[in-house]
Amino acid sequence: MSEKGGKGFKSSLKSSYGPRESKYTFLQDSDEQIQGSSAKGGKGSKARKSTLSKESQPLELKTDKELPENAKCLMDCEAFEILQGIKEQMAVLSEDPSLKLPVSFDRGLEYVKYGRCYMNPQSVRQILEPLKKHGVSESEMCVIANVCPESIDEVFAFVPSMKGRKDKISEPLEEALMKLSKLKRSA
Amino acid sequence: MFIKVKLPWNVMIPAEAMDPNGLMIQRAVLIRLLDAFASKKATKDLGYFIALKNLEEIGEGRIRETTGEIVFPVVFSGITFKMFKGEIVHGVVRQVHKSGVFLRCGPCENVYLSQYKMPGYDYVVEGNPLFMNQNMSRIQIGSRVRFIVLDIQWKEAEKEFIALASLEGNNLGPF
Repeated sequence: MSEKGGKGFKSSLKSSYGPRESKYTFLQDSDEQIQGSSAKGGKGSKARKSTLSKESQPLELKTDKELPENAKCLMDCEAFEILQGIKEQMAVLSEDPSLKLPVSFDRGLEYVKYGRCYMNPQSVRQILEPLKKHGVSESEMCVIANVCPESIDEVFAFVPSMKGRKDKISEPLEEALMKLSKLKRSA
Repeated sequence: MFIKVKLPWNVMIPAEAMDPNGLMIQRAVLIRLLDAFASKKATKDLGYFIALKNLEEIGEGRIRETTGEIVFPVVFSGITFKMFKGEIVHGVVRQVHKSGVFLRCGPCENVYLSQYKMPGYDYVVEGNPLFMNQNMSRIQIGSRVRFIVLDIQWKEAEKEFIALASLEGNNLGPF
């Protein structure tokens, strides 16, 4: 299980990681759980019988309720920028066999390479961010950016959770889509 | 959907890996962390582990008295991928059966699209088996298909997700 720092933990290093004197304390009990991996990112996992939902509720995205607190969603174009950057760095560092990439990295990169429609994630975020004040959630924003809608009807079809706020958000959404259409990458 | 998550982990450095001058601690911690991250395939809460983005903090090391290993608490940000029920995603067809197709969506190899969830598509064998509709739109091995996630299930033993897909809705299907 993940140990969040534990006793005696000080976050004493800044991001520059300059040389410093290291201080060590002895651990008295060997029961302290050590891991190279954390089991949880936040919420406790509960064993659940996995069955298909038999309810007739509309299929709505509930990412915001399902994500742990320390996590946030990324748009595909943002993920591409990050993963491509890592790949370029790994190309330089690949001579060192001790540096490994996760097995899912290539599949993840392939997914965003073909799926994204925008080249400039910062511009996309700037265009969609104002929708938040009209009640659009972070995950809804990411889905809009990921599906590259041509019209607001498409948005409401892909993100049914927004239908209830149709009157309130149609106009700002229309405006955002118009700006987004100028950013779409050429095929 | 991709997720950026901040995680606290403990990284263990064996005593023999420590530089006598203590100057290569950050490198040793980073290498061990990368190794641990790379070995962790997926979790139920966060999905598939894709990449380690930033090592944000390295705390004070603590020596395990019994083994001499040094434990460093670290905080890092990572990128993961997880499908959510109701999300619109895309995948590549990897197997075609009479009852439906299997797709790969990012790192998830086990997405099943039943023939009953492909409205307008019929199973056809044109040399290779495929599904085709009246507009001659084909779903075959290698096709990239946009779908909605009907349901998703975590398999603890295999550290894998399986998902059910559907094309019921506007603008879903091969592209």
